[in-house]
Formats: sequence, C-alpha cells, structure tokens
Amino acid sequence: MTARGQRWASLAAVALAFAGLYFRVITALPPGGFAPPPSAARAASTAPPLYEAQLLPNTSAASVHSATAAEISGGRLRAFWYGGSREGASDVAIYTSVYSLRQKDWSPESVVVTREFAQRHLRRSVRKLGNPVVGRDSKGRLCLYFVSVSVGGWAGSAVNLMVSEDEGETWSPPRRLIASPFFNISTLVKGAPLLFSGGAVGLPVYHELLGKFGELLRLDAEGRAIGKTRLSWGQSSLQPVIVPRSETEAVGFMRYAGDPPNRILIVRTGDGGVHWSRPEKTALPNPNAAIASALLSDGALLLAFNNAEENREDLSLALSADFGHTWRIAHRFEGASGPAPAPVPEYSYPWIVQDRDGDVHVLYTWGRSRIKHVRFNRAWLEGKR
Amino acid sequence: MSASDAFGLFGSGLLGLAAVATAIRLRRLPVRARYAVMLAAALAVFVPIGELSIAACVRGVTGDLSMSTLVLAGAACFAQLTGRTLIGLRDRQALCWLLALAAAFLYPFALGWTRFDPYALGYGSIAFLTALLVITLAAWWARLHVIVLVVIAAALAYLVGAYESRNLWDYLIDPLASVYALVRLLPPRTVLQQPANRSP
Repeated sequence: MTARGQRWASLAAVALAFAGLYFRVITALPPGGFAPPPSAARAASTAPPLYEAQLLPNTSAASVHSATAAEISGGRLRAFWYGGSREGASDVAIYTSVYSLRQKDWSPESVVVTREFAQRHLRRSVRKLGNPVVGRDSKGRLCLYFVSVSVGGWAGSAVNLMVSEDEGETWSPPRRLIASPFFNISTLVKGAPLLFSGGAVGLPVYHELLGKFGELLRLDAEGRAIGKTRLSWGQSSLQPVIVPRSETEAVGFMRYAGDPPNRILIVRTGDGGVHWSRPEKTALPNPNAAIASALLSDGALLLAFNNAEENREDLSLALSADFGHTWRIAHRFEGASGPAPAPVPEYSYPWIVQDRDGDVHVLYTWGRSRIKHVRFNRAWLEGKR
Repeated sequence: MSASDAFGLFGSGLLGLAAVATAIRLRRLPVRARYAVMLAAALAVFVPIGELSIAACVRGVTGDLSMSTLVLAGAACFAQLTGRTLIGLRDRQALCWLLALAAAFLYPFALGWTRFDPYALGYGSIAFLTALLVITLAAWWARLHVIVLVVIAAALAYLVGAYESRNLWDYLIDPLASVYALVRLLPPRTVLQQPANRSP
C-alpha cells in the first residue's frame, strides 16, 4: 500500500472506531430511577413486641468486623463478615452464617473467601481482605462484594464481586470491579447495594487515596461498572449509605472524617441519583465510624450509629418520621447503661435489614471479637416512639 | 481463564519484558542472544511460580494497562530486539504531551478535589467522545501516527470489552504512561541525560 493509501486507511479506521464508540453511547440504556423500595410491599405485623439479641458463632477468628446480611429463601438471613488474627492480617477470611427466622438461631460459621482463593481466581496478587457487603441484583441473585488489597493499606483497596444463584450455598469466582483510574485502587464498600428501575445495581463506594469521598457506582447485569455519580468530594466523607424512598427521591448518609464538630453527613437526590445535594452535617454525632440506615414500610427512617463524637462505645438507634430532616433517639443497643460490656468497648459498623414479616435485624461488631445480632419488630419499635 | 484476564496478563507481562529489555540494554547483545534472553524473560514473566506468575503480580499492583502503555512497551521491546526505532521523536513527544495533558485533566479531579469527575465521562459521554475525535483527527492531520494508533487500539479494545473495565479512560491512559510522559517532557537537566529514543 502506498503512503497515501495508508493515510486514508488510517482515517477510515478512525471513522470506524468512532462510529462504534458513538453507537455504544447512543444505544446505552438510560439510567432510570431507583427501583421501588422492597419494604413498601411488606405487610404490617400484628405480633407482640419482640426484642432479642445474640452473638453470632465465632470459633476461629480472634478479630471479626464489618457484618452484612440479606434475607434469603426459606425464612432465613445470611450474614457475612470478615475475621482473622487481626484486621489487615493475611489470614483474614470472609465468613458466613445462616439465621433461621423461625428457630432464631445461627448456624456454625463457614469460610466463603480466603486471601488465597481470591488471589487464585482474580489472577493477581492479593495481600488482605476487607469489608464485605451483600445485596441482590435485578435477577434476584445474591451478590457479595468484598474489598481486597494488593499493595499498601486500605487506600490501596479494590472491590470484587461474587454471585450466587442458590442463596449463598455456592458462588461464582470473584471478579474485580473497575472504579478508579489510579491502578484501580482506593475503592471500598460498606453501604448496602440498591436497585435501579432499569435493572442496574447501585453500589455505594468510597475512596481513601489522598481524598476521602463517596460515590454511587452503577453496575450492569454482569456486575460491571457502567457509570457513577459523585456523592461528595474533598477529604472528610466516606462509607456512604443510600436509602431510596421513590423512583426519584433518596437520602444518603456518610461517615465524617473531618474537623470538629463530628457529625453524620447527609446528601439528597430528587432525580433518581443523577444529581446529589452538597453534603451537610446533621445534628447526629459521628466519631469517624460507619452508620447504617433503612426505610420501614410506614415511611419511618432508621439509623444505627455511634452516638458520640469521639468513641464507638455507644451504639444507638435513631428514628426519623420526615425522611431524615429531624431525628429522635429511640434506643441504645450498647453503652454505659446497656447490656454486659465487651472486653474491648467498641460497638461499630452496624448493618440493618428488614425481613418479609417486617422485623428489623441489626448486626454490628461487638468488641471486635464477635458479631452481634439484634432483632426487633414493629410492635417493639412502636413502643419506642 | 477469561479473555479479559488473558489480555490483562499479556499487558502486564509485556510491560515486564520491556522493563527487562530496557534495563539490560538488550540491543547491545548479539541478535541471537537478544531473542534467547527475551524468550527466557518471557518464560520467567508468564509461567507461574507457585500460584502466581510475575505478570500476575505486576497486574495485582498496576491493574490492566492502557493501550498507550502497551504501544510504548511493545515499541520498546521491538527496538531492543531489532535495534530499530519504531516510534520517532516527534511522534513520541506528541504522545507524551497528550498523555501529560490528559493526566493533568483526569487525575487531580479523580482524587476527589471537586464535584466534577472526569473519569465518569469515560463511561459514555458524547462530549468526551467528540473531544477525543477532534484530537484524533488533529493528530491524523498532523501525521502523528502513534496517537492515532493508540486511540484506534483503545477504541477497539473498549468496544470488544478486552478488559474488565467499561470506562474508555482505562483503555487510553494509566498512571504508568502518565509518569513516563512527564519524565520524558522534563527538561534534560532535570533528569539524567537519556538517549533520544529511550524506551519506557
């Protein structure tokens, strides 16, 4: 081919390549709003007040942290957490246990993911494992997202996804989510995934490399990131939790890591998560610790959080009847006047899930040595209002 | 092994080979020795030692590498193997300037400095594509062939889903290519004097 021919051939290649790119963008599905919150369909319970608490089994790990749970078939909950000799150790694995809503007991824990397992299937080095979060995709499959680190500390994290079609009995090999242009590091998870009406999954994530800020990733049916929206920016917000109320409206909360006063941050959207308000401090304290939130079927918003500015010794439950504008402390799970204290007085990283009957389950780290499960129902909560 | 894993490992391995070839100045060896060394290096890079290969370890740190890095690494391997330079100085300088400007636009904002997130544009933005098209046509008009090659390769790899990422930025640029570009653009006295056609 002559030089002139090569030149025009390269122009033709450019035209073809960009035609493909434009076609891909133009034919991409519109984002769509949030899927209806599942709690809206739940029937009100007529049961008497129920409040009970128990520790999850832990026979092997000296240190456990960061529980997550989802309701599965057969009237059960499946929980996950990470545990090992200490946080960040190479022997940290992700554990699971199943809770029977009827029998009210947890099965012995078992390992779902080890560092070696993740390394082998991700086909890259993995130094340690971190936070898991669980949710469902639009096909109803259980999706387990977990943090792994190949180099450095938590700022070097990436998020991985495993999918189960049998309620967590077996899992697909893990796959890496790509969410950052910096060697894909510094992306972590803590908040519950949510669904968009178009079938995409919304995964709240945060970054810790130089800046600390939250984002909402949009994942396609295969679990690949196909979009994202920034929830905050700067160096003081992380671990976003998003609670949709309708197709267009949602509220988000974030852990605060900035200058005092230390308060939980709040953001809002009114257009299905396309745009978010500037983060603002709420009246609720936050000792740079994770929070959890859930919307009940009657519209009440629950928030589990550490009710102190400097430590994680008080874990409380707040209620809002106006979707997060005002709050009232409804209960203290742990604290000075609470139940027998843990050897290490830290109660943190709560997770809230509501089952089909309307009962609320709160799981949290208890003294870094156990995961604690608190179950209460609507009748008990009514008494706290 | 999935196709994206294979392509990702190939990229990390190619970078490793380019680094070895450049570090030992392969082109100074006799021709047969060059190929023997590269073959040995390829075995060392791609064959797993225990559970992971060196390419997998590199991939664990760098993630999947952009087409810019792969083109530069491939050119470096070619130059060290054959003694012939594949990318001329003008093409290399232009690519480095473009990478440096793109890095300056992308990375500070991706660190969360502001609400604006240019990385999100890579998931599918008409404005972003149009800007890239204009730059590519300008490069074609100026006969900057390497830039055109990188953009076409990145577009094709993106369209076939060669990597795990669905973000076009990840196919165009990565931090390694950005650092290389910045180093190449520094005034000669700022860094150790390098030959004009130094490989990455």
